[in-house]
Amino acid sequence: MSGLARIARRGRPRPNGLTIFGVVTLGCLLFLGVFGPWLPLGDPSRIAAGPRLDAPSAQFLFGTDELGRNFLPRVVQGIRSTFLLSAVAVAITAVIGTLLGMAAGYLGRHTDQIVARGADILFAFPALVAGLLVAAIMGPGQASAITVISIATLPLFIRVVRSVTLGVAGRGFVTAAEVAGASTLRVMLVHLLPNVMGAVIVQLTYALSIGMIIESGLSFLGLGVQPPNASLGSLLRQGSAYLTIAPWMVLSSGVVLSLAIMSVNLVGDAVRDALEPLKGRPLT
Amino acid sequence: MTAPLVDIADLVIGYDTGMRQVRALDGASLRIDEDETLAIVGESGSGKTTLGMAAGRLLPPEAKVIGGSIHVAGVDVTRADDEALRRLRHDKLGFVFQNPTTALDPTLRIGRQVALAMGGRPPPEAIAELLSRAELNESERILRAFPHELSGGMAQRVVIAMAIARRPHLLIADEPTASLDASIREKVMSTLGRLRAESGASLVILSHDLRMVARHADRVAVMYGGRIVELGSVTRVMQAPAHPYTRALLTAAAGNERPGERLCPIPGTPPILESRCEACAYADRCAFRETRCDTERPEARPFLGREVVCHRAEAVIGAPTQARQEDR
Amino acid sequence: MEPPVIALENVTVTYRSGFLGGTAFDALRGVSLNVSAGETVGLVGESGSGKTTLGRVCLGLLHPTAGRMHFAGTPFGGLRQRRGQLSVVLQHPEWALNPRLRCGRSVDEPLILTGVPAAARRKRVAEILEQVGLDPSFAARLPGQLSGGQRQRVAIARALVTRPRFIVFDEAVSALDVSVQAQVLNLIRDLQERHDFGALFISHDIAATRYVSHRIAVMLKGEIVEDGPAGKFYASPEHPYSRALLAAV
Repeated sequence: MSGLARIARRGRPRPNGLTIFGVVTLGCLLFLGVFGPWLPLGDPSRIAAGPRLDAPSAQFLFGTDELGRNFLPRVVQGIRSTFLLSAVAVAITAVIGTLLGMAAGYLGRHTDQIVARGADILFAFPALVAGLLVAAIMGPGQASAITVISIATLPLFIRVVRSVTLGVAGRGFVTAAEVAGASTLRVMLVHLLPNVMGAVIVQLTYALSIGMIIESGLSFLGLGVQPPNASLGSLLRQGSAYLTIAPWMVLSSGVVLSLAIMSVNLVGDAVRDALEPLKGRPLT
Repeated sequence: MTAPLVDIADLVIGYDTGMRQVRALDGASLRIDEDETLAIVGESGSGKTTLGMAAGRLLPPEAKVIGGSIHVAGVDVTRADDEALRRLRHDKLGFVFQNPTTALDPTLRIGRQVALAMGGRPPPEAIAELLSRAELNESERILRAFPHELSGGMAQRVVIAMAIARRPHLLIADEPTASLDASIREKVMSTLGRLRAESGASLVILSHDLRMVARHADRVAVMYGGRIVELGSVTRVMQAPAHPYTRALLTAAAGNERPGERLCPIPGTPPILESRCEACAYADRCAFRETRCDTERPEARPFLGREVVCHRAEAVIGAPTQARQEDR
Repeated sequence: MEPPVIALENVTVTYRSGFLGGTAFDALRGVSLNVSAGETVGLVGESGSGKTTLGRVCLGLLHPTAGRMHFAGTPFGGLRQRRGQLSVVLQHPEWALNPRLRCGRSVDEPLILTGVPAAARRKRVAEILEQVGLDPSFAARLPGQLSGGQRQRVAIARALVTRPRFIVFDEAVSALDVSVQAQVLNLIRDLQERHDFGALFISHDIAATRYVSHRIAVMLKGEIVEDGPAGKFYASPEHPYSRALLAAV
């Protein structure tokens, strides 16, 4: 290894303002999502809690909807279902994608051909078309939202894990384990998995933001979360009908959704920078 | 007397690693004359790459010049603005890096890259002539090739040709043969040496291989702990090293031993400095250590036709060649 | 007389590439080589000469296209049957050890695979670390906290922990600094005297190779062009290619 390359790897970037903004925003949203039902915000499904389509006030911070429901607890419930649905979908996908990616990268040959081609086909499939197709087959609801998110994000995991595995599999410790007589499963779990986890974690955050976009999109089209439950997407749909007379509904759910996706991406960038410091930085 | 081509005086460079600062150079001084080949030898972490790259200020952003000065061909490198630095690198300096395949642009044909290195649109004969000077025949085929289609040795010859294309005054080669096969290293080194001699430039070779550079350099500078600990003509230093580290390096390397002899490794590990070293950096590993070595920083002094940074040089040079244990 | 630990007889390895194996390329052509217990055979040659392929064949990672291979007198068989009997030390110290496992755990792995009980394993790991010149406290460290030479020592400890009969060193010292190289080379010599394993020392560095080897085989384009006692490579090898290698020392 050249001395210069070694020198260039020293040091670590400090967190910047955007990262801090992302972490704080995401933290607040997750707090609301997790503890929302127990916070004194009001009942999201109580009809006629106030006047219909009432503008934001001290009593109803985000106003009320066309059934007179308090909109703030509905947005909080939306955060909860959007995050929860995407997280469940992405977690399932990550496990499957990591196993498939490792198998493709390590076993090579036919396994690799099948898995990598399969990932390419999924990757080429537009998420919206997949969503309509899945909703048509499975019917609208949470299960089809999870399926669509999985279809859209599975290739991300397979591709990244496969390429990282290809690099790790050629290293000395893997060969040493093979020579010592370790089984394929053992090599994959003991030696490959811990070394691809970094890449999986980075991918998790990106997949989560994609999952949230897909979930909101499907719910916006009425194919995802069904009423009386709310997700940020279904709230946007609900509010869009009253955009001119009650803009606070679209505004509040839209701003929260943007903040959610942006903060997940910012945190994802920070995680990537922390795991792969100084990649390709120029000399002065 | 003319000014030397390169004049590095008491250079201190540190790298910020976040939590602390690590010193790569701890007061290195070096003059390089016109028309000579100087080898800078040291192990990883000795500071040789930092010293070599500092001549063109090719240092990563974490590197901070803490003290000292670098003058190259009359330019004050540490203070020069970007334009002056660019002109210096462009007109006066040539670099040859360790790995030729990463030094070449993988998307451009060799012909185009060499033409760019020569500055614009040279006639085809001039390109072919340059390549043949670097001992690359079949220039037609090579010019049309992409970097990955060349062997390592050929690629390194192309890099050398590009480095000398603008007739630089100073060529800096960082481990130029380390990534090449053993059987062609000698030939590539002689090509480099011959081209240097033809152009009258000075050549700095950065390497960890003391024996290899001994065959190709006029002077050798041995680095340890961010300083040049011994500097002199290759014959003097190799035949009778005055610094215990130079001496230990020579006995540790396989190649000089006779069959059945045992190599003598250097005990311990190189130091990682965080501030100016107020003792001898080598003392912990030294066989000639005495109290003074732990309390007093040795300064460079002339000694038997060379410069050495050691309190005990007289004892080192007078010591008999270490008897190697017999086995096998 | 005891049979050699590894005996290759007329081994050929052919790589096929392209559609339906359209183009064939012989990485090894009719190679015969024996390594006896307590003997180190050096294997030198430039990259692409087939020396790494030969190493992989000897480790059972690659099956010869043609020819025979015996391990201690019996046909080689599969790697699972050879657990604990052979091992490898590879080039890059930074990649030699799983960065996520503590060193003790890395050294322990071959013992786990051979089914040694936990108490015996702990004792053996401490013992072997000591033999490669490392304090047993290194068992608790992660590879990232070790220097290149220390990592290579841990890799050697892992290779030796099951007392194997055959070890391949593939460019095991090439990435190390000169002073550390000498330490590791001496360690290999001392450990061999103690454990009597057969070894294949693959390297492009003829100076280091002749220092640790009893015999040296020179490879060129998939064939062994010269095979003789190491002493010969201090003086005058026969093949012109061997002499070219020696010129660089």
